[in-house]
Amino acid sequence: MANIAVARIKREFREVVKSEEAAKCNIRVELIDDNFTELRGEIAGPPETPYEGGKFLLEIKIPETYPFNPPKVKFMTKIWHPNISSVTGAICLDILKDQWAAAMTLRTVLLSLQALLSAAEPDDPQDAVVAKQYKENRHLWEKTARHWAQEYAEAPKSKKDDEFYDKVSQLAEMGFDRHKALTALSAHEWNMERATQDLIS
Amino acid sequence: MSEADADMASQGSDPDDEGLSDSSYQDYSDEDINDYYNYGPDDMEQDDRGQIFDPEAFEYFLFNKEEACQFLDERVAELTQTIQFSPQVSHTIGKVLLQAHQWVLTEVMERFREDSVQLMVDCRILPPPSRAKQVEPPPKQCPVCLQAQEEKDLLSLACNHKFCTDCWQRYFQVQVEDGVATGVECMWSDCRLITTEDFALSILKNSPVTLRRYQQFAFNDYIKGHYQLRWCPGPDCDVIYMAPQPLGRKVQCKKCKTCCCFRCLKDYHVPADCPTIESWLRKCADDSETANYISAHTKDCPKCNICIEKNGGCNHMQCFQCRYDFCWMCLGDWKTHGSEYYECSRYKENPNIANESAQAQAREALKKYLFYFERWENHQKSLKLEEQTFQRIQHRIKEKVMNNMGTWIDWQYLLDAANLLHKCRYTLEYTYPYAYYQEGGPRKKLFEYQQAQLEAEIENLSWKIERAEQTDRGDLENQMDITEKRRLTLLRDFSES
Repeated sequence: MANIAVARIKREFREVVKSEEAAKCNIRVELIDDNFTELRGEIAGPPETPYEGGKFLLEIKIPETYPFNPPKVKFMTKIWHPNISSVTGAICLDILKDQWAAAMTLRTVLLSLQALLSAAEPDDPQDAVVAKQYKENRHLWEKTARHWAQEYAEAPKSKKDDEFYDKVSQLAEMGFDRHKALTALSAHEWNMERATQDLIS
Repeated sequence: MSEADADMASQGSDPDDEGLSDSSYQDYSDEDINDYYNYGPDDMEQDDRGQIFDPEAFEYFLFNKEEACQFLDERVAELTQTIQFSPQVSHTIGKVLLQAHQWVLTEVMERFREDSVQLMVDCRILPPPSRAKQVEPPPKQCPVCLQAQEEKDLLSLACNHKFCTDCWQRYFQVQVEDGVATGVECMWSDCRLITTEDFALSILKNSPVTLRRYQQFAFNDYIKGHYQLRWCPGPDCDVIYMAPQPLGRKVQCKKCKTCCCFRCLKDYHVPADCPTIESWLRKCADDSETANYISAHTKDCPKCNICIEKNGGCNHMQCFQCRYDFCWMCLGDWKTHGSEYYECSRYKENPNIANESAQAQAREALKKYLFYFERWENHQKSLKLEEQTFQRIQHRIKEKVMNNMGTWIDWQYLLDAANLLHKCRYTLEYTYPYAYYQEGGPRKKLFEYQQAQLEAEIENLSWKIERAEQTDRGDLENQMDITEKRRLTLLRDFSES
């Protein structure tokens, strides 16, 4: 690991820990190994979004050429969002690609990701299925995204979402994997018949 | 074609070959055409110098890298001399301004006269006025490596975002690694200012390898960004085309012999224009499955039903068994293919189609596409087969010369005829994508009429060339003249000006 990358990560790590946002439990970062090549990030789901109350874990890998190349970041927590792959957690965000600048830091990355959760860019999608739903049936997208946050990101549950749980449970009782059942239902507007068809084929 | 062949051919007729053997890089001039077609140009349009208007004439030059460099430098010098830059504005900034405007000199000058500051902001040389006095990083520390630095070791662009030389150097290395050169931006977040060549030079002066790659990529960016320049699309070819008027016309590389359209760099395609040929090729790629079945190479003789393989380029077929003359495209009697009745290049649309069901319409659309595709592909195949004819002719000429039947020059007209046939059939091939996208109306009728005429003459020429032994030389040359005239007439009326 180049000296400059290590020096930067040490400093940026401290910056996040001491930041205002960390004090409010909005963002967090921890070290995975001693040579600063991998970190674990966490962002809170922003208020007034379907992700509110959820905690989203991020895998952060620091390249040898950091900070001249961006860190490689992906979601470890499964999430239903137009710019994040519901399968791999890969993120489509300009500052993690060509709009990265060497003067940016881990803190700016985490805050940008949090902003992405508040404001999706459906015209520049990573997950085409989610983006299509976001544009065509915004209400169903919100409900689905909230359900995913409750299922995977420990967001608080409320009574009104029971319908989705029942459907997933029904399919699970038929012997399908719970996550696969949830994915199939989400991709087919929670239509049991079409989701089952998808799972069988 | 070898040099010797090219010289021989240029004594004959083909203006294309004239261009090839010409010692200057310039394409054939009007005079060449004029000389050859000087007899009887009554039906040709003439320009004010009394010369015949050639729809394919195109002025272009072939540059090597040094010549292209010089060409670019001259444009920059022209700019800096004309608009009297203030002292701090240099050659290298001129390059940035031109690159941001596809090197259209007049546009840069006009914008400079209107509002020079706005131009500099738009071209990312100066920061927007609102940002000009933003906070600076903590003094004497590089915000990237966080190391303490002397003030004099910190460098910045006009935005005043200061970074140390080491960081700039590492940053350039990473960017050049990714193939970025003219677009390397300031390292500050949200700052879009770009580095100039001089700045890169001063940063990379101690890393010659990176510097050399930077310069290669930057040069490549300039060529790609210049409206008059194009890299030759030939494999590993480093020739650069320069056309004063960047039109969709034919250019040929002298080094790798690639022949293409200057504007889109695809195979030359008049009378179809660049967008037409692009949609056509995409359509052909998409619909290749449907078109597969027509790629069979054989058809049955319409009279005696013997299976016939087409082994020549000519569409005028004569059955080996029953001697029936027929057309390969429509399988109709060839006798009806006199110039007035030649109709198998014309697609007859069902006039009632608007009232038919959606399914019938889809079938009709497919039928229409297949009609044009079949003809386009057929001419492509004919071109391939006629290449073999060309080789055969060369071989036969050699034999004749060996047996003291005339000299090499006596038989050159046969090669000229084969070359001309290739050129005409090539144009004919590209009339089909054009016709497919052309809207109906009197112009389409005229186009189809001319296309049919050209088609008929090309088949006559092909027939005569394949039977050159029995054909009288005068007759053949007459046929060549007619065919080329038909081709030029069609192009004159229908290719974009």
